[in-house]
Amino acid sequence: MHKLLAQQIVKATDETGLVDLEKFSALVAAAYEDLDRDRRRTDRSISLMIEEADAVQGNLERTVVERTKELQAREVELQAQNMRFDAALSNMSQGLVMFDADARLVICNQRYLTMHGLEADEIKLGDMLRRLLDCRIAKGTFSGNPEHYIGSLRTMISAGMPSTEFVELDDGRTFAVVSQPMPGGGWVATHEDVTERRQAEIKIAHMARHDALTDLPNRVLLRERLGEALAHVERGQRLAVLYLDLDQFKNVNDTLGHPAGDELLRVVAGRLRGCVREADTICRVGGDEFFVVQTDIGDATDAERLARRLVEAVRVPFDLEGHRVMIDASIGIALAPTDGTDANELLKNADMALYGAKADGRGVYRFFEPNMDARMKERRALELALRMAFENGEFELYYQPMLNLEKGEVRCCEALLRWHHPERGMVSPVEFIPVAEEIGLIVPLGEWVIRQACADAAQWPDDICVAVNLSPTQLLSKGLLPAVLGALASSRLQADRLELEITEAVLMQNSELTIRVLHQLRSLGIRISMDDFGTGYSSLSYLRSFPFDKIKIDRCFIKGLGESSESDAIVQAVTGLADCLSMTTTAEGVETRQQLDLVRKLGCTDVQGFFYSPPVPLRELTKVLAKERGAKRRGIKTAAA
Amino acid sequence: MRVQQIVWNKRSGWTAAKKELGEASLVLYFGTREALNCGARYEALRGMFPAAHVMGCSTGGQINNNDVNDDEIVAAAISFDATRVKLCREDISDPSRSRDYGETIGRALSSDDLAGVFVLSDGLNVNGSELVAGISKIIGQNIPLTGGLAGDGANFKETLVGADCAPRARTIAGIGFYGSAIRVGHGSAGGWDLFGPRRQVTKSAGNVLFELDGEPALDLYERYLGPEESKGLPGSALLFPIQVYDLAAPDSAVVRTVLAIDRETRAMTFAGDVPQGWTAQLMRGNLDRLAAGAADAARQACSGVIGQGNDQSLSILVSCIGRRLLMGQRTIEEVEAAGAELSPDTYRLGFYSYGEISPHAKSGLCELHNQTMTVTTLAEVA
Repeated sequence: MHKLLAQQIVKATDETGLVDLEKFSALVAAAYEDLDRDRRRTDRSISLMIEEADAVQGNLERTVVERTKELQAREVELQAQNMRFDAALSNMSQGLVMFDADARLVICNQRYLTMHGLEADEIKLGDMLRRLLDCRIAKGTFSGNPEHYIGSLRTMISAGMPSTEFVELDDGRTFAVVSQPMPGGGWVATHEDVTERRQAEIKIAHMARHDALTDLPNRVLLRERLGEALAHVERGQRLAVLYLDLDQFKNVNDTLGHPAGDELLRVVAGRLRGCVREADTICRVGGDEFFVVQTDIGDATDAERLARRLVEAVRVPFDLEGHRVMIDASIGIALAPTDGTDANELLKNADMALYGAKADGRGVYRFFEPNMDARMKERRALELALRMAFENGEFELYYQPMLNLEKGEVRCCEALLRWHHPERGMVSPVEFIPVAEEIGLIVPLGEWVIRQACADAAQWPDDICVAVNLSPTQLLSKGLLPAVLGALASSRLQADRLELEITEAVLMQNSELTIRVLHQLRSLGIRISMDDFGTGYSSLSYLRSFPFDKIKIDRCFIKGLGESSESDAIVQAVTGLADCLSMTTTAEGVETRQQLDLVRKLGCTDVQGFFYSPPVPLRELTKVLAKERGAKRRGIKTAAA
Repeated sequence: MRVQQIVWNKRSGWTAAKKELGEASLVLYFGTREALNCGARYEALRGMFPAAHVMGCSTGGQINNNDVNDDEIVAAAISFDATRVKLCREDISDPSRSRDYGETIGRALSSDDLAGVFVLSDGLNVNGSELVAGISKIIGQNIPLTGGLAGDGANFKETLVGADCAPRARTIAGIGFYGSAIRVGHGSAGGWDLFGPRRQVTKSAGNVLFELDGEPALDLYERYLGPEESKGLPGSALLFPIQVYDLAAPDSAVVRTVLAIDRETRAMTFAGDVPQGWTAQLMRGNLDRLAAGAADAARQACSGVIGQGNDQSLSILVSCIGRRLLMGQRTIEEVEAAGAELSPDTYRLGFYSYGEISPHAKSGLCELHNQTMTVTTLAEVA
């Protein structure tokens, strides 16, 4: 029997053992109802579940469709992004490579391949870095030890620090390689060709230490080299510092222009370079000044030898655009450790030595002497006094008359510059003229002389001329002609009463220009004399170059008259020559009667010298002239006759 | 230990009590609310066992060995040889403080030699999950905590609990077993089948469920119950418990059953927490599998708990009103299935509750269960 039925019977049975049928029926009916209800419930549950399952499935399908669309859109976007990425990679100016944590190639752009001479099929993604380096070694675009390189790269990456390396290739190119570690252990590196930039940097570094014009070391490098050399001096070596200055360089610049001046400096630099050893340093420190540091010398004679070589090298004539130029060099020498062990001290002492050299003339070298300081101060004082003198009117013109032998009267007076220094008294022109030239005073001074001479001469009788000396500087200065014209105009002196005396030195420099100026002057009516004839190298050839009016025979020939036959012969020859060329001749430095007679005999037309009259101030001259004119009128024989 | 079983019904009153009447130290009783309301039944028990702690509650049905009935009171009087017991009681003034009440009970019963705790609580005015959590926090997870929520048939009006007093509403009672002789076995199993799609708890607050997958919970239930059975809500909702679990901890799955509904807000109150964000799935019951579940629970309770010789043991079966409702007249089958697994010497009593308290069969953590058969066995060893 069914368990439930048995239970129901038990439940429906009362204490007497009788089954309550009503109760029993109720229980059974209730059981059937329970079953029905259960069945309906189950059925309902299943239907609902099926519905829900369908709904869920529908949702799922819809979601899948949406997601697929999303994915596809994302795919398209990714493609586009990849293309953009590729374009960027391919077109960037740097080579780019990316490696993963195992040093395998992940990304490589075309530029990288091209830069390193690699073909696209030689390298593929996944290759090890080592393989890449080997390929580059084969192509000559990697130098150094690949293992070291990889090692240091790994160190840098594990430290998480970016690094920049410069790779110098055999073909001269320089690459900058910047490597940046990435999270995860890989790294990305960009390669850039920085050859030009590098070269520019090198060039700039060079230019910072070298003179642009001559490519010699400049002041900066001089200081460095000197510093290094002095360190050796501390250990017992000796060195010399030579300070070299080009004489008359300013003239060249003024007369031929700066391009010629620059060319001159370049050639000078080359010549000087050729005189020094590898270990020595030659620098240009500006203008026409050069320093030479001569290291590890034995003693002063080594420096002296070098100085002499340098001077001679400079003395060789230069050919500048067809112009023949000759200049000298002055050199000041200071020795270490004798004259100092400090750079500044040595340079200063070399400077003083140079100053001394210049004072002593041209083309001279001088060693530093402890009293140079004093002499320099003296010279500086002189320069200052000279400038002041000009402003204070301490200059005066003296005149030395020249006697015409035929007429027995003064025909011309030479103007000579005198300086009355308030404290020193009379300063000899020998002393102050070179200084005036050095400090650029000669031109204004010269102009003053011309003006003053013309003004003074205007006071004299009409038939007496005035002769003024012209230095080469004056002759080539642009202001000469205007100055002369101005002087003539303001003094109202006739041009033919003005004589200009020039020495051979004038003609040595830039003869063409000089000749042209001389012609211009002559065309005004001014007379031109060659002074100190016979003392230069080419006196005769200069006679040919220009129609001089007068030759002044140098005193050295006059001195020897009567003592040596050579002097006689020379003087006679010169006078004969002059006569043929329609030039007058003046014998300079006639001091005795005998000389006077001799020169007259030999054919000179005029004499100048202490015998007749020394150079005298203007007021004295006026007296002399008056006396002479008076005597003449009275018919008295004078010393001249 | 020795166990004496006594029964009360309207017709015969209290049935035989045997000799050692007064020796019992603990009396447990379960009965219908109608019978317990007046308090006379308690007084009678008190009279019979003056020295014992008397603890019991109203139910949704009583279990007396293999019998299930609705109009009786079943009781067990226990005398222990070497086990001490202690009873405590809490009054519920504010259901939101359920955890505090639990902690208080835990503290009251705590002791170094505490071996087990059995709790009976008001079934309508408490948050069972919180109560259990409160007690567990104090006594720890190593002490077995079992018990149940009192019931009121299928009325869901008022539940009564008594602890050394006449049973009354809004009360929690807890008994502690002390000593090294007592062995407390426990087991719990459901047997309900999951069916239908997994749903998400999209709106809930504590044990009040508002929405599943954005749809009002009550709508879903009315659909599944159909127009006829919907009239029987909330009771009929017991036919479809839900299983809830946290996706991150699938082993935490618990079954929840409906306590009340609100036709206005379309919300449903469950006997335990239904946390928002958890996954929920409907369940349905099948007689055979429910019975098998009961047997499983009994098997779990047995292991390790064997009576010695003449000693008797007690098995307390706390099953769920929802199972009763589903199985109807055939409820007895689950009791029989459980009994078949238990020792023949063990006296079986129990009740159909509004919530079962037992350690989770898988996780071992003590929790409030619904729709579950729980079995607690008490035995002493020498």
